[in-house]
Amino acid sequence: MLFPQTLSRSLAQRVTSLDEPRSPIANMPSLPASVIEAAASALDRGETHYTDRPGIPEFRAWVAHHMRERYRVSVDPAEVTITCGSTEARFVCMTLLAAPGSSVLCPGDSSRIRGAAHLVGTSIVDAFRDDISLLYIRPDDYRETSIELLQRAEETDWWIVYDLSFAKTLAPFHPAQNPKLASRVVTINSLSESMAGWRLGWMAGSEMALRLRASKQAITICTTAVSQWAGLEWARTQL
Amino acid sequence: MNLNANPNIPEEVRAVAADGTQLRYALMEIAREMDDVIALGRGDPDLDTPPHIVEAAKAAIRDGRANPTPVKGMDDLRAAIAAHMRQVNGLPVGADNVMVTTGGQEGLFLAIQALIDPGDEILVPDPRYSSYDDAIQRAGGVMVAVPTNREDAFNLEAEAVEAAITPASKALLIVTPSNPTAGIVTEDRARAIADVAIRHNLIVIVDEIYGKIVYEPWRHFSIGSLPGMAERAITLDAFSKSYAMTGWRCGYVAAPANVIDAMARVKQVTTGPVATVSQWAGLAAITGPQDCVSEYLNIYTERRAVLLDGLDRMGFSYGEPRGGLFVWADSSSTGIHAAELSYLLLKEGRVLIFPGTAFGDQWREYVRITMLEPIDTLKEAVDRMLPVLERYRL
Repeated sequence: MLFPQTLSRSLAQRVTSLDEPRSPIANMPSLPASVIEAAASALDRGETHYTDRPGIPEFRAWVAHHMRERYRVSVDPAEVTITCGSTEARFVCMTLLAAPGSSVLCPGDSSRIRGAAHLVGTSIVDAFRDDISLLYIRPDDYRETSIELLQRAEETDWWIVYDLSFAKTLAPFHPAQNPKLASRVVTINSLSESMAGWRLGWMAGSEMALRLRASKQAITICTTAVSQWAGLEWARTQL
Repeated sequence: MNLNANPNIPEEVRAVAADGTQLRYALMEIAREMDDVIALGRGDPDLDTPPHIVEAAKAAIRDGRANPTPVKGMDDLRAAIAAHMRQVNGLPVGADNVMVTTGGQEGLFLAIQALIDPGDEILVPDPRYSSYDDAIQRAGGVMVAVPTNREDAFNLEAEAVEAAITPASKALLIVTPSNPTAGIVTEDRARAIADVAIRHNLIVIVDEIYGKIVYEPWRHFSIGSLPGMAERAITLDAFSKSYAMTGWRCGYVAAPANVIDAMARVKQVTTGPVATVSQWAGLAAITGPQDCVSEYLNIYTERRAVLLDGLDRMGFSYGEPRGGLFVWADSSSTGIHAAELSYLLLKEGRVLIFPGTAFGDQWREYVRITMLEPIDTLKEAVDRMLPVLERYRL
């Protein structure tokens, strides 16, 4: 039997220049027994229904605690949303924080936001210009450049995304430590280095937190329940 | 019916009820802060995921089979879904025509991103599942309402579809069984609609997430199975409702291969692959025994009878609910705007239902009530709602 290969109409313009999907990460490390048991226990408890839209309260409380302990940044658990990996967090941030037609200033590796920026209709630039709406930085970016841009951000209305996922630099620096910027900083992180197949990330903080949560919910409603319970155990014991 | 029409309604209620579409979420937040609420709002089955599915997921976790998969999903699962859709739905699809999605809602989001350019019109039956609005608006699509009506049990008419078509029309979105109306698109109507779609070269996106929950004597019918539809039908489904798996976030899409490729490119940069453990659960669901599906359908059939009896006692009327997990009830006999009514029933009756205005601004005399509680709880919900209605009814 021949199956359909081509739609009778053209595809949307936006998809024609998106990259082909990457191959999945192979050979992930084995999970600790306590994480496996936390997942199995959650299933035995019947944690198979929608969770709270922003994520289970225990995980959101842990994220807030972690940010306070590691980075001395205060975030209310109500400002935390658990996402399907950091990929979803980045896309949601791009959607709401980068105005179509504006530019995203990214002084370092932009490979993780290129596709989302394309879908949203923004350009990625690596130097200052007038139409910037969002500053995207990572701990691995050259620190002096980041600090210089953050100083400049104080005089602007830029949103700031600080993406901790896959970071190799673990210094306690965080842009939200600056009170002039804190309400405009969204922190992104994930457990993908250890639990990539579970699809767990989060976005935390900023005065846009509730709108970011609503935007995530409109795409995937909530993040996989059993993943959240497994991830909570990983976070509590390994980070 | 307008807000402020009923002098019996307290001012506090008027203030909350003014924003009808957002009220659905506001009501859920209010309910969360209250004790002993009977939740007949959200479409989350109270039944548990069948044990054989849970055990399959646990085995995968314990065996270390949780590495990330390709963004389209596990090959075995895609092949199994294709086989299931060929056998059950009559769709001419292979594994290349299938991708796994993070629930049914994401399937719609990906399809819209892959298909709709700014300014393209997409025909949407009214009332509609308003959670899809966001996906259409993100893509710059323009929703065009296609009317349905209670006398016809909210079955979609080909003539109404054709009347709404303009040169900018690119797609028709069907949800069958419908959320919120519980109507279905019957086979005869589907055939007529397919003729219209082929003549006007329309894409048909059809959400069949409630397709396994259809009540006797009615039957689900997949419009994508008709001749000439394979190259224009995008069929969405998920494990969430039929197998009580909402928290696993696992759905799927069947479409021409170039659409699947495009959706995968979008998914790669927006959410990534579905959680692997959920895919193992989905594989167990679709290849394992299907008794659970018919068992759950029997449960919903009994509940539906109880709920309809209760609505009769409350003086609500309705088009025949032919499928899905809701009743879309006409509450005009109360003389209370649906938004105000939903708030009153929550605050004073401790029963959460959703106002019709959450599914289209003009549905001020309708409410959506789920049957996702046991029979005794449904009876108690009716007993709680009756005195509230008597207190405020005009």
